[in-house]
Amino acid sequence: MLKNFCQKMFGRSLWVYHANSGGCNGCDIEVLNALTPYYDAERFGIKLVGSPRHADVMLCQGPAMRSTASALKRAYEAMPAPKLVFAIGSCACGGGMWFDCYPVIGPVEKIIPVNYYIPGCPPRPEAIIYGVAVALGLVDKKVAPVEFKELELPIPRYHPDELRGQGELVIYEKAEKV
Amino acid sequence: MPIMWRIAGGLANMGMVLLVAPFAQGVLRKITARIQSRQGPPLLQPYFDLLKLLGKEDIESGECPVMQQFAAYLSLAVVLTLACVLPMGFASPMNNAADVILLIYLLTLSGICTLLAGLAAGSTYSLLGTSREMMAMVALEPLFAIALVVGAVHTNSLRLDKVLNGSVYGAVGIPWSGVIMLAAMLLSFQAFVQRVPFDISEAETELMEGPLAEYSGPKLALFKYAQMGKLIIFGALFVALFAPWGAGLVFPLGWLLFWVKVFALVLLVTLVAATHARYRIDQAMRFFASLVGVAFVALILASYGF
Amino acid sequence: MSLGSKLDEAKLCLKAGRVTLPYPVESPGTPEQFRGRPIFDASKCIGCAGCANNCPAREILVFDLCQEIRILKYLGLRCTYCGRCAEVCPEKAITMSRDFETATDHIGDLGQRLELFMSTCQRCGRCFKVPTVLEELKMKGYRFDDLRNDRWIFRSQSRLEGDPLVDDVEIDLD
Repeated sequence: MLKNFCQKMFGRSLWVYHANSGGCNGCDIEVLNALTPYYDAERFGIKLVGSPRHADVMLCQGPAMRSTASALKRAYEAMPAPKLVFAIGSCACGGGMWFDCYPVIGPVEKIIPVNYYIPGCPPRPEAIIYGVAVALGLVDKKVAPVEFKELELPIPRYHPDELRGQGELVIYEKAEKV
Repeated sequence: MPIMWRIAGGLANMGMVLLVAPFAQGVLRKITARIQSRQGPPLLQPYFDLLKLLGKEDIESGECPVMQQFAAYLSLAVVLTLACVLPMGFASPMNNAADVILLIYLLTLSGICTLLAGLAAGSTYSLLGTSREMMAMVALEPLFAIALVVGAVHTNSLRLDKVLNGSVYGAVGIPWSGVIMLAAMLLSFQAFVQRVPFDISEAETELMEGPLAEYSGPKLALFKYAQMGKLIIFGALFVALFAPWGAGLVFPLGWLLFWVKVFALVLLVTLVAATHARYRIDQAMRFFASLVGVAFVALILASYGF
Repeated sequence: MSLGSKLDEAKLCLKAGRVTLPYPVESPGTPEQFRGRPIFDASKCIGCAGCANNCPAREILVFDLCQEIRILKYLGLRCTYCGRCAEVCPEKAITMSRDFETATDHIGDLGQRLELFMSTCQRCGRCFKVPTVLEELKMKGYRFDDLRNDRWIFRSQSRLEGDPLVDDVEIDLD
């Protein structure tokens, strides 16, 4: 019973470890902005800690580089369960603009499993706080995939099946579409 | 009969420390946040933190896991023992069993727990934090010891109920030694409770991880609890030594007045912590060295009856 | 470093009050020219793939299913919201919305996929724009000029039926 109670408290106090594996520091600054008085993240109980062993959530930024891949994996394994990983910025979500460069392996999810994605370049501090709120279940996520298919072809096509012979004349069946 | 009261008193003290310590920390964080013009965490946040830490997995890392566990248990145990020894609103429950020398050694032991924690972990950052904590401890522990010895010299006894009763002001006329010791203790109080500007080793998780770097989950919860408890314990000691007025009132009033005084001290600690920057270790050592010199002057004055 | 100066400092900080924005509860506005997520408007898109050629992260993929159907897929995972696609689009079919609340737990949620019918000319196979009604009047599709009487017949509807639209002329079809 105590264990259930402790696990319910997980959402009220998240300790965050910040790992930048090769990014440009733009997202670092936005994460730091989220901790300033204007967008205060501490009111949700979020605290920045310096050691991955104390942390619950790892905020990853920057794409996974060849040189820092092993360090990132070790930092992930050093975190005690239960743990979450947030990928912040387009570099961490999908590799960013540098997805096919020589030092870049790819997005962070090629090295460690990612739970939540917060895209942007860099994402606004409000977007980061929104992402944390989605993870905590305070708000619903707003994006969904969009698909468009053109079902009605606007120009008629004279398909041979639709041309009907009538004596010497040829009548097109779907004349009203012309 | 008296033994039952004493045991009950000791348990009540321990319970109060366990209950109130996270609340004091919450008040401290909230006031710090308000001074920084932001809405801070909710007041009960440290309770949530501790409960969450208890629910996490315990990763064994570091050089000597057995010693790490021992250090974690020892830190909270020392804090609770100190709670039994100190008078918190009523007379000390261990009056006949403990004296000032035991108090001095228990205070030192609480500092040694942190050193044990860092040394048992054995990683680079832990050892660095431990060495700084050692330096700070060497300069700091004499201060409270000298305060207690000044009290003992004035009252010519080592009994807890005589010394922890504002005995530093015991001299006839103007209590010079008392006033000097009060000034010295106020200036160094922040270091004892490990807050800015003197939290060089432990709460320095922002700069380096410190001795607690390798701890996770329940062990970290014990250490954090011990840290929060130390704020209350040192506050209680300070109030008992330097501000004991009103301790003789009837039971509920005296007890409430004691806690009011402790919270006033927590408020003072918060204000200083929120408006100062952190000292480097060499600057802090110079500061402490001068304070220890001043404390020795007070001791000499006390031994001459001033 | 005196006590007085520290109290003044604390008073100064307290004067600012509480500046925290109540963010998830109330949303602050975004500035006018804020570039958020791009939105693809399929009714305006002509499928020229100018956006795909310009994207620095190669985020927009183009696939021609057959002569007439072109699939444009915007992945969304690497998009840096730079706005080059919107700048280059000749039909202004891409708008950079002011939406920044795009956090999700499945990265495929950000994708947009459009299947477009590319209007191709029936005779030469090249793409063209759908003509307006006025333009259709002058359309030179199937021609039914009167060869016997040497007359040019304009038809507003190209019908292969027998009834002549103009009374005086008899149309012969072969």
